[in-house]
Amino acid sequence: MTSGRTARPPAHHLRALTVTAAITVISLLVIAGGLTIGTRPLAPQAVMSALFTPDGKIDSILVWTLRLPRSLAAFVGGAGLAVSGYLMQTLTRNPLAGPELTGVSAGAVAPIVFCFVFLPWLSSALYPFIGMAGGLAGASATFWIARGGRGRPLHLALGGISVSLFLGAITTYVLLLSGPQVPSLLFWLSGGFQGRSWPQLAYMAPWVIVGVAGALACHRVLDLLALSEQAAAGMGLRLAFWKSAVLFLSVLPVAGVAPVAGPVAFVGLATPHIVRLLRPGSPAWSIALTVALGGLMTASADIIARSVAAPKEIPVGIITALIGGPVFIYLVQRRDGARAGGL
Amino acid sequence: MTAATQASQRAASGWLVLAFAGMAVLSLALATFLGVVDLPPSDVIAALAGHGSSEARSIILDIRLPRVVTGILAGIHFAVAGLLLQTITRNPLADPSLMGISQGAMLAVSGFLVFTVYVHDPGSNTLQALPLGWLPVIGTIGGMLAGGFIYAIAFRRDLGPLRITLCGIAVGAVLHAIGIGMIAGWGSARIEVLLEWFSGSLYARNWQHVVFLLPFTVAGLAILPLVRRPLALLRFEATVARSFGLSYRRQFSLALLIACVLAASAVGVVGPVVFVGLIVPHLARFIAGRRFDLVLPLTIALGAISVTLGDLVGRLLGQAEEIPIGVITAVCGVPVLVALLRRTA
Repeated sequence: MTSGRTARPPAHHLRALTVTAAITVISLLVIAGGLTIGTRPLAPQAVMSALFTPDGKIDSILVWTLRLPRSLAAFVGGAGLAVSGYLMQTLTRNPLAGPELTGVSAGAVAPIVFCFVFLPWLSSALYPFIGMAGGLAGASATFWIARGGRGRPLHLALGGISVSLFLGAITTYVLLLSGPQVPSLLFWLSGGFQGRSWPQLAYMAPWVIVGVAGALACHRVLDLLALSEQAAAGMGLRLAFWKSAVLFLSVLPVAGVAPVAGPVAFVGLATPHIVRLLRPGSPAWSIALTVALGGLMTASADIIARSVAAPKEIPVGIITALIGGPVFIYLVQRRDGARAGGL
Repeated sequence: MTAATQASQRAASGWLVLAFAGMAVLSLALATFLGVVDLPPSDVIAALAGHGSSEARSIILDIRLPRVVTGILAGIHFAVAGLLLQTITRNPLADPSLMGISQGAMLAVSGFLVFTVYVHDPGSNTLQALPLGWLPVIGTIGGMLAGGFIYAIAFRRDLGPLRITLCGIAVGAVLHAIGIGMIAGWGSARIEVLLEWFSGSLYARNWQHVVFLLPFTVAGLAILPLVRRPLALLRFEATVARSFGLSYRRQFSLALLIACVLAASAVGVVGPVVFVGLIVPHLARFIAGRRFDLVLPLTIALGAISVTLGDLVGRLLGQAEEIPIGVITAVCGVPVLVALLRRTA
C-alpha cells in the first residue's frame, strides 16, 4: 500500500494542499470579518487596532473576550464534529452515519442533562467524561442493534433514530422535572456558542485535538477500512481492535464539544460528504479538509446566528440544520446514490 | 379445509376480536376508576350516572373521561397510521415519528407559538395566555405539510419504499433541529407547556380535543374498508401489485394520505407519542397469526388499550408530577423495537 501511495502523482497532494489552504484562509477571513459584525458593529480599522494593540477599552473587550474566542470555539467545535462524522462514515461505510444518526449526540446529551439537574454538586469538569461514556454507550447500542452497521444503511439509521428518540424522551422528561433551569438547558440542547470564551475553548480543544491527531495517526488504517473488512483483514489489520479504536476516536470530539456547545446538528453528517465532492485523494487529506470545512461551516453559522436577529441570538443548530439538512436530503434522494453511497 | 373447521376458525376469530374489545372497555373503565384522587367506585358510578357530589362529577366527567377518550382516539390514530405506513412502505419499522410527520407538527406548533407571542408583544415574552386552543389545528397542518413534502420528494424521484423511509428520517431530523432551535431561541418561561406537548401528554385534555379528533377518526376508519384490497396488494412489489390490476400510485397516495391525516391530527392533539404506531401493528400481527383480516381490528383495539394503560401508568406512578405518556411509550417501546431491528437486520 505504501508503494501505491508514493506512486501517486505529487500533483494530487498539491491540489489537496491548495484546497485545504484555501478553505483555511477563507475560515480566517470569515472569522476576521465576523469580528466586525455584531450588536455594536466595528469598523475594520477599529478591529485591527483592538486586535493588535488591546487597550482594555470596550472595542478590545468585544474583540478579545467576546467575538474572537467565540468564533474560534465554533471553528474547533465544528471541526471536531465533522471529524467524528468522517470517522463514523469510514468505519461503517455508511453515508448516513454521523453523531446524530448513531445515537452519539443523544447519548452524550442525556446523561449530562441528568447530572445537571439531579446531581448539581458534580463538577462540570467531569461532563466531558460523562458525555464520553454516554456517547460510547449510545453508539454501542446503535451498532449492536444494527449488527455493526454493515448491513443495510436503513437499519443503522433506524437504530440510531430509535436510540435517539428513546434518550430524547428521557431528556425531555428530565427537563420537565427541572423547572427553572429549562430555558438555559434548552438553549444548550439546540447547540450554541453564546457566551463561550477562552475557558470553554480551552476546555474542549484537547478533546478535539486528540481526536483529530488520533485520526491522522491511523489514516492508513482508515484507508484499509474504507476498502472492505476482508481486504483490511487480508492486509493484516487486527479488525476487532481497530474498529473499536476508531469508534472510540470518533466519540472523543463529540464528548468534548457536547458539554460546551450542545449537539450542533448536521455538521458531522454533511461535512464529510462535501469533502468527498472535493476528492481529496487520501484519508489524511480528507481529515485535514474535513477539519477545515467543518470549522468553516460552524464558524460562519455561528456568525449568522448571532447577527441575523441581533441583539437576540438564534441557536446555531438552526443555521447548521438549514445548511446541512438539504445536503442530507439531497444525498438520500439522489438516484445514483445506490452506487456512491451503497444504499 | 372443511366447512366445519372454517366455521370454527371464524368463531375463534370472532371471540378474539370480542376479547380485545372487552379488554379495551376494561382499560377504559380502569382508567376512569383509578386516578391520583382516590374516589370510591360507588362515587364514580354515581358521577357517571349524573348525580353524586359536584366534585366527583367534575373529576370524572370533566377531567378523567375526556382525557381517557382523547387517549383512546389518539391511540387508534397512531396505531392505524403505523399499520398503513408499514404496509405501503413495505418496511416493518415505519412509524409516524420515524417518518417526519411528528416533527413537522412539532415545528409548526413551535413556530406558531413563537410567532404569535412575538407579534402580539415583542418586548415581553412570558406573561400572557398562549393561544393553546389553536395547537391541534396548527399541529395537524404541520404534520400534513411534512408528509406532503416527503411524498413530493418520493414521487418526483419515483423513490422506492426504502428511500421514502430514509427521506422521512432526514426531513424529520431537519425539522426537529429547527423546531428545538426555535423554542430555545424564544427562551420563554412558558416553555414547560411546549415541553410537555413535545414529550406527548394527555394532561388536561378536554372534550374539545375529543370533538376535534372524532371526525378524523370516523372518516379515517370509514375509508379503511374501501381500501382493504388495495392495501393487501400494496404489500407486494410495485410491479407485482400492478400486475394484479392495482393503480399503484393512486392507491399508494390514498393510503399515505389517510396515514398522514390520522397521525398528524393525533400529534396535533396529544403531541408525538412515540413508538405506538410502530409496536402495535406488530403485536396485532403476532396475535392474529395467519388470520390477516383480524390485523386491522386488533390494531385498533390494541392502539386504544396501549395508550389508555400507558397514560394510567404515567398518572399513577408520577402522582401529582405525572409522567407524560410519550415517555412511558418510549421506555416500553424500545425493547420491542430493538428486538425487531435485531431480527430483521
